[in-house]
Amino acid sequence: MGTLIIVLTYIAYVFIVVVYTIKIVAWLKLPPHIRWDLYPVIHEENYRYGGSYYEQPEWWTKPRPRNTWRSLFYSLKDNFYMGEYFNRNRTYWLCLLPWHLGFIFIITFHILCFFAAVTMVGGLEITAGSPQLLGKGFYYLLLLTGGVAFVAGTFGSIGMPIVRLADRGLRTYSMPMNFFNYFFFLVVYGSGLFAWLMLDPTLEEYRAYWLGLITLTPPELHPLTVLHIVLFDIFLIYLPFTRSTHYITRILAYYFIRWDDEPNLPGGKMEKQIASLLERKVSWEGKHIPSGKSWAEAATESGLPETKKDTP
Amino acid sequence: MKKNFHIDDFTHPGGQVTELDPAELSPLPPPYDKREKPPIRKLTDEQSTRMDASLDGVVAIGLTPPKSPEEEKAFIDKFLAGIEKLFSTDDNWTFLQPLVHTLEYCVKCQICSDACPVYVSSGRQDIYRPTMRPELFRRIVSTYIKKEHPLLRKIKDSDIDLNWQTLARLGELAYRCTLCRRCAQVCPLSCDNALISREIRKVFSQQMGIAPKEIHEKGSVQQLRVGSSTGMTPAALRNILEFAEEEIEEKTGRKIKIPVDKKGADILLIHNAGEFIAWPENLEAFAIILDAAGVDWTLSTEIAGYDSVNYGVWYDDFQFARVAIRQSQAARALGVRKISLGECGHAHKAGIVVADRVLVGDLIIPRESSLPLLEEIVLSGRIKFDPSRNHFPVTLHDPCNMVRLMGIVEPQRRILRKICPQFREMTPHGVENYCCGGGSGFAITQSTNFPDWRNSVSGRMKMKQILEAFQDAPGPEVKKYVCAPCSNCKGQFRDMFEYYDVWEKSGILYGGLVELIVNAMADLKKPFIQWEWH
Ligand code: SF4
Ligand code: SF4
Ligand code: SF4
Repeated sequence: MGTLIIVLTYIAYVFIVVVYTIKIVAWLKLPPHIRWDLYPVIHEENYRYGGSYYEQPEWWTKPRPRNTWRSLFYSLKDNFYMGEYFNRNRTYWLCLLPWHLGFIFIITFHILCFFAAVTMVGGLEITAGSPQLLGKGFYYLLLLTGGVAFVAGTFGSIGMPIVRLADRGLRTYSMPMNFFNYFFFLVVYGSGLFAWLMLDPTLEEYRAYWLGLITLTPPELHPLTVLHIVLFDIFLIYLPFTRSTHYITRILAYYFIRWDDEPNLPGGKMEKQIASLLERKVSWEGKHIPSGKSWAEAATESGLPETKKDTP
Repeated sequence: MKKNFHIDDFTHPGGQVTELDPAELSPLPPPYDKREKPPIRKLTDEQSTRMDASLDGVVAIGLTPPKSPEEEKAFIDKFLAGIEKLFSTDDNWTFLQPLVHTLEYCVKCQICSDACPVYVSSGRQDIYRPTMRPELFRRIVSTYIKKEHPLLRKIKDSDIDLNWQTLARLGELAYRCTLCRRCAQVCPLSCDNALISREIRKVFSQQMGIAPKEIHEKGSVQQLRVGSSTGMTPAALRNILEFAEEEIEEKTGRKIKIPVDKKGADILLIHNAGEFIAWPENLEAFAIILDAAGVDWTLSTEIAGYDSVNYGVWYDDFQFARVAIRQSQAARALGVRKISLGECGHAHKAGIVVADRVLVGDLIIPRESSLPLLEEIVLSGRIKFDPSRNHFPVTLHDPCNMVRLMGIVEPQRRILRKICPQFREMTPHGVENYCCGGGSGFAITQSTNFPDWRNSVSGRMKMKQILEAFQDAPGPEVKKYVCAPCSNCKGQFRDMFEYYDVWEKSGILYGGLVELIVNAMADLKKPFIQWEWH
């Protein structure tokens, strides 16, 4: 059993990292698009009211200061706060936030477990009464992250189907898969919550499990903890098949779509990229489009029957 | 009580998906709260047989039903081939990334619905949710393009049964969105449902050759052929300019020669040609200000060089690129240093921002909004102003294209604060503004009963905002001014104000920003704004 969960856990982690990476690389490799900015653009100086560099006369002669830290903070913070939901649908937010926090905290908890296990190999004692401060710190941090993950995740997984069914709009746009996800996530978080509260209040078994993982020694665990771990591993493998990559892609979309205000200046890299995209051949069948020609040709010879200028 | 809507309602042949109930439309303040006439005219029997109106009884494109099953199949196949092209880098590099992102990452949380003025004003009709078009689109992709396994489609609830009428409804629905992108602004996942409306319009236009005639045939096609979407030829333009010069002299006593095709001028000013025909006072005011400030500028008579509109930005990437290139060519031919765009929101967005990644080589000519230039002139003290001449309530409409989609928010406000003592904001305003209701071509779409829908549904939120901005003086005895620095929005206000009898009931006039500037010029003998021309 112990060996099985070690192998399964490694497979799950490798799988999720590989598939997420593939998805993100695929997103990033999509060609540069036409500008489609949407204000406020947070790296702009006047982002508070949504102002842009176009507010200055002859903007191309002026500096365009960008505050990258501000925009980074802005885009990350919403993963933890979900402000638009708070402002626009409080009931939904009340379930959605715990649901997401459950996910963020359970991943954080596992990452911390990994580091805790590494320090344990180095001789650190991780208990409430550990003589080392770091050991004590790890102990409480694990308790906090694990506890929040199980409680918030369980709460969110119960609340989400209820709000989805109660609201007319959400109900119309719900799919069976949403409810499967809520149920499955409930089982994952619920099993963790149960194992924690009933069997392993100090989360000692998790530390043993992670120590086993990094030393490749199958641990002795209670069957219910094993059940939760197996479910969690399946959860990791399942996640890439859901829309969960949105944690990352929403931020990419901020940078590469909404806030992409990079002007195309003569002689720049952008100009070269566009020139090469304009060489691509089009196959649209509308009568006004010369199918088979390049974008550059289609955009210059108007493809219309009469293009003569009416002279005065 | 609203009936529970199901996506299948959309695919059932026959009938009408939604019946707009006047009692359900969002309320307007008095005296506009009384429903005196049915908001939307019914189609005549002849129109109903000729055009499909089975979405909501309204017609923007009005497709004619196929005559045989073969014709229907050919239509559907061609449409699907078009959808496939949207996912090809060759055919759609222009919008592939935002399209894929929106399709894949929307979680259907409906946060965007209440941000949409069309959905809210309609009394929250399900078909107008910003998510409705993408939902249908995703189902088409899942069922016919990716051809996902039926079981997977069941789990994802992504099945759809396509018939001609479903596509006709989808085509109409793509023209029930003003592309104001208020929905996209609130989306926590950076999805953009407005973009999907535009991509659907693209398939109809670029693949099927179908678009409202005001936008394509009489719009961008005419602009590329004659020079302007208004049909105005360069010869007609010269006549209008002569007339404008006479009017300027009559109104101000100044003799101003409007420069045309002046080689090597500093600025090529491009107006929305609608101004020349419907609101010549706008171009006159521009001429007065630029002349008084000693700016070296010119107009052009080249194709598209005297009409800043670019309707392609609403429905067709090729028509868009063609017009953008023509405008740059006009500037290049004159050897100007920069292009400045007059008061037109979509022309701003199209010409300055979107065109940015279509122009290469010597077509990259600096392009800017005229608003910062006007601000510089007004605040510099080069011209003397007497704000008491604008002593009437003024509110500002933010054209979405200029504001939410471009970030030009403050220059126009700094001008108004200086020259309009009774300036007040609408709520909300700035980048959170509501569209006038005429966006994405609606203001120029005059076919059948579409204007009724535009006035009573898509413009309703703006109407409410305007009335609320003037609630301290609601009656017609106090003359009030909505400043709309956009021809398209002015077109919508013209129609909507007439539809609701706004002048008679509330004494509200609409107009541009430059008119207010000239009206406040201290050395003019007579007021420039003529209230009787409401
Ligand atoms: S577009 Fe955004 S806000 Fe609207 S339903 Fe999708 S995820 Fe939610
Ligand atoms: S773009 Fe505007 S009109 Fe269209 S769906 Fe979004 S909010 Fe509604
Ligand atoms: S018509 Fe005016 S307000 Fe409406 S979408 Fe266009 S710019 Fe925005």
